[in-house]
Amino acid sequence: MSREDQLRKRARDLLAAREVVMVIGYRAGRRPGTTVPAFITRPEDTDKLIFNDRCGANLTAYLPRIPKTAKVAIVAKGCDSRSIVALLKEKQVERSKLVILGVGCEGIKVDGQLSDSCTTCGYPNPVIFDEMVGETRDMTETSDVSDRVPDPLADLESLSPDERWHSLMEDVARCIRCYACRQVCPNCYCPTCFVDTNNPQWVGKTTAGSDNMLFHLMRAMHMAGRCVECGTCHRACPMGIDLMKFNRKVARIVRDRFGTVAGIDPDEPPALAAFDPNDRQEFIK
Amino acid sequence: MSTSDTSAASFEPKIVAFLCNWCSYAGADLAGISRIQYPPSIRVIRVPCSGRVDPFYILKALLFGADGVLVSGCHPGDCHYLTGNYVARRRFAVLNDLLDFAGIDQGRVSFSWVSAAEGERFAEVVREVTEKVRQLGPNHKLVKQECG
Repeated sequence: MSREDQLRKRARDLLAAREVVMVIGYRAGRRPGTTVPAFITRPEDTDKLIFNDRCGANLTAYLPRIPKTAKVAIVAKGCDSRSIVALLKEKQVERSKLVILGVGCEGIKVDGQLSDSCTTCGYPNPVIFDEMVGETRDMTETSDVSDRVPDPLADLESLSPDERWHSLMEDVARCIRCYACRQVCPNCYCPTCFVDTNNPQWVGKTTAGSDNMLFHLMRAMHMAGRCVECGTCHRACPMGIDLMKFNRKVARIVRDRFGTVAGIDPDEPPALAAFDPNDRQEFIK
Repeated sequence: MSTSDTSAASFEPKIVAFLCNWCSYAGADLAGISRIQYPPSIRVIRVPCSGRVDPFYILKALLFGADGVLVSGCHPGDCHYLTGNYVARRRFAVLNDLLDFAGIDQGRVSFSWVSAAEGERFAEVVREVTEKVRQLGPNHKLVKQECG
């Protein structure tokens, strides 16, 4: 039985047994080769479910919007499962209300190319799941990411501060502030986002360089210790801004400074909500 | 004004200082009542705790034209709210490294621990920070340009 058939069967069984009220997965989009999120509530609709290398959306983003009393099943790749862990830590979802159908991921393709975030992926298999659907991906070839691909930030970090500033300003200058990156992000569940408040107005509404940079820096700050680098924001950006630069950087800062990686251990508090009295403070006078 | 006014020697930076109510603000007060001289470059904003300082405050100060920002709180272990400055320290560490990555010069944003008994130390920190920002010159990055 193929992976998709297994997935459909499990979804059908779960819905038919009324174990869950909804299965969140992927179905084909209207344009050939595209996929869209599917919210399946009837057993007879489960044949719509698909899974392939274009299922790039992080479905975990929908979990905080589901009523707390409803139990749902969700299809989760490695990165999606890490997002679930991140949300469990922040008490945004309840483990007992979730059936996680894990899938081993071969990497997401965008226009036939491996998506940027997937090139440095160290977690193709779910870190948390109730049952695996299909094969677990062999981890031996992905065990040490740093050996496999060059450091994606090395070029940028070798520049002088002024050059880095101009390079990043060039990137964010393209931003049209559509907030697609926020909309698709599992971490962005705040009822009122800082970009939407008018009093105080945290970020100016213009797309002037400084407002855009402030937005992207603060988005990165809010991702610190929480972002699992799934790359969904990067793929959602209509202007093709390389948001992974910021995501990777904050993840690296948190890993280097506090020794924690987001979305792995549900029992560990989020990095910026915790502290160690011996945290390095060489930058403080 | 001639262009020489913006040279490092005569440039008088504007620095926004977020001081925690329980330690650094009292430290600044002590510096004042002890008549210790330090550069008049800082504009003090009193906050209840260094943990109250959102990274937004720091970045918005730069956005609105501050040449530098100083955040100062109680020494680790001495927080009035027990752990406020420990949590703040992690946040500042990430912000510090992120600003460095974004190419905002190190020294533009400074952090320090100053207790209520350290008037002389407070003056020393302000002298140091002012000198550092003076060396860096006026802040051009992240400043929002007035339109029209």
